[in-house]
Amino acid sequence: MRALAVAATIAVIALVAAAGQEQTWTPPRTPDGQPDLQGIWTNYTSTPFEVPDKSDTPAFYAGDLDGTGRGTGPGAFLTDSSDRQLTKRRSLVVDPPNGRVPIMEWAEERRNYKLAHIQDDWEHHTPWERCITRGVPGGLFPTGYGAGYQILQSPGYVAIVYEMIHEARIIPLDGRPHLGPSFRLWNGDSRGHWEGNTLVVDITGYNDKGTVATNVATQRVRAIPQSEALHVVERFTRVDENTINYDVVVDDPRVFTSPWKVAMPLNREPDYQLFEYACHEGNHAIPNTLSAGRARDQAARGVR
Amino acid sequence: MSWLKGAVIALVSAAVALAVSQVIRGPVQRQAPDITVLRTADGRPNLNGIWQAVGSAHWNLQDHQARTGPVLELGAILAVPAGLSVVEGNEIPYQPWAAARQKENYENWLSRDPEVKCYLPGLPRATYMPYPFQVLQTGNNDILMAYEYASASRVIKMGKVEPPPVDTWMGQSAGRWEGDTLVVDVTGLNDQTWFDRAGNFHSEAIHLVERFTPVSPDLLDYQVTIEDPKVFTRPWNIRMPLYRRQDEGVQLLEFKCVEFVEEMMYGHLRKKTGNEKPFSAARLRWP
Repeated sequence: MRALAVAATIAVIALVAAAGQEQTWTPPRTPDGQPDLQGIWTNYTSTPFEVPDKSDTPAFYAGDLDGTGRGTGPGAFLTDSSDRQLTKRRSLVVDPPNGRVPIMEWAEERRNYKLAHIQDDWEHHTPWERCITRGVPGGLFPTGYGAGYQILQSPGYVAIVYEMIHEARIIPLDGRPHLGPSFRLWNGDSRGHWEGNTLVVDITGYNDKGTVATNVATQRVRAIPQSEALHVVERFTRVDENTINYDVVVDDPRVFTSPWKVAMPLNREPDYQLFEYACHEGNHAIPNTLSAGRARDQAARGVR
Repeated sequence: MSWLKGAVIALVSAAVALAVSQVIRGPVQRQAPDITVLRTADGRPNLNGIWQAVGSAHWNLQDHQARTGPVLELGAILAVPAGLSVVEGNEIPYQPWAAARQKENYENWLSRDPEVKCYLPGLPRATYMPYPFQVLQTGNNDILMAYEYASASRVIKMGKVEPPPVDTWMGQSAGRWEGDTLVVDVTGLNDQTWFDRAGNFHSEAIHLVERFTPVSPDLLDYQVTIEDPKVFTRPWNIRMPLYRRQDEGVQLLEFKCVEFVEEMMYGHLRKKTGNEKPFSAARLRWP
């Protein structure tokens, strides 16, 4: 009985808080009347991407194949989020309710093969290590460093400038149709519209060379392939001065047994400075892993 | 509705007549009448849109005649088109050592040009590469220029900015309005980028002042003053028109060229499977 009363009280407080929030804060508008999302945003968080499971092998997902702690993703020292807030949930994956992405077995096997054979071919690396892209929506998943985003708006467009691999993603809002089927793009083809104060972006037209998430922070989902059937719907809602709620539903019937959803905040951080992430221009990771592989091949053949 | 149609036709005709008279009077007049300039809600010239240079400055800023391309088998396809200089006076005032370096760069174009490797283009080269770029002019102040080539971009910060903390490929852009001209001061560029495919280069001491002036709704006058005391004997200027892309539904598309250079850069390190498709032996000749 007492537990019920407590629960009821909490529910009432939550309702009041939610109602209060909605009534007291209206997002500012751009001169052309769009809800204003502009500014510098970051997504540092200590909340895990998925709810961890005993069967997980986090070191392997990080590319640490020999137990040295050196993987192909950024090390812990680069993912310092100690003074950043936790989201108020146990994982960023909120659907399915168990917080686990419903990955098909073949996709995990393919990912495992690639991660175990990065020394054979650059195509076994994620597009991030190749300095091509962190993908859509992968580019907005927390990564631990270089995670600044600047949103700019002009009549008919929203642009998101990603610090990581210097991408400017331009989303048209004029209701134009998606590109034709000849286009198979790393980041798909974004089309946006406003539903009230929420920017809804529909993305199709992906190639099957990318991966839906690239960085170690995405744990078991890292380097899982995307197919041409991938369909992504993102929702950006500015809920107060300093917060955009970012929701994304990922649907790829060839890779996942059901659609899954991530919900996470983007935090306004006006003093954060985006630095140029010139990646390919100094990419030693790819030639170094490959040349290490060829050296190993030679050693195995007894060539010195 | 027919009155509206008539009015629109009349307006368009007037605009065309004005534009034509501008062209006849001289390529670019800074004091173009206001009617030829699109404006934002706050009265600034409206540069929003997708723009592209049409000349062959990306091959060579200076006067250059047509010539054979670098791949014999490609015949006329990759031959170099002729072009008039976009450099005021045609001369790039190199210091003697730098003139020698430029010649060496030209002769070793394929192994030295950062564009061959899909590296970030730097400025001003990004502006006149043979790819479109999009301007997003926001309601408050920052202006985004996003280039199709290599997903390069820059955010032009309006007003006072701190000096750049480190040199980068795209530098730091600080903008201000002088009348109807967007003036962009570019500093903090590194010494890795070139001006064109002819080996014209600079050091990290380079400083640019770019001027974007709307001439008509679909035409920008682009002028740049280039200063680099380590490489040139004096500042010099380039100037060219930038045209609005009119194609229906035009948008920036992906040109993520890293993928196109991996075989060239890393192919010799890939594990052989025995199923490789052999490359034909193309014959290169340059210069």
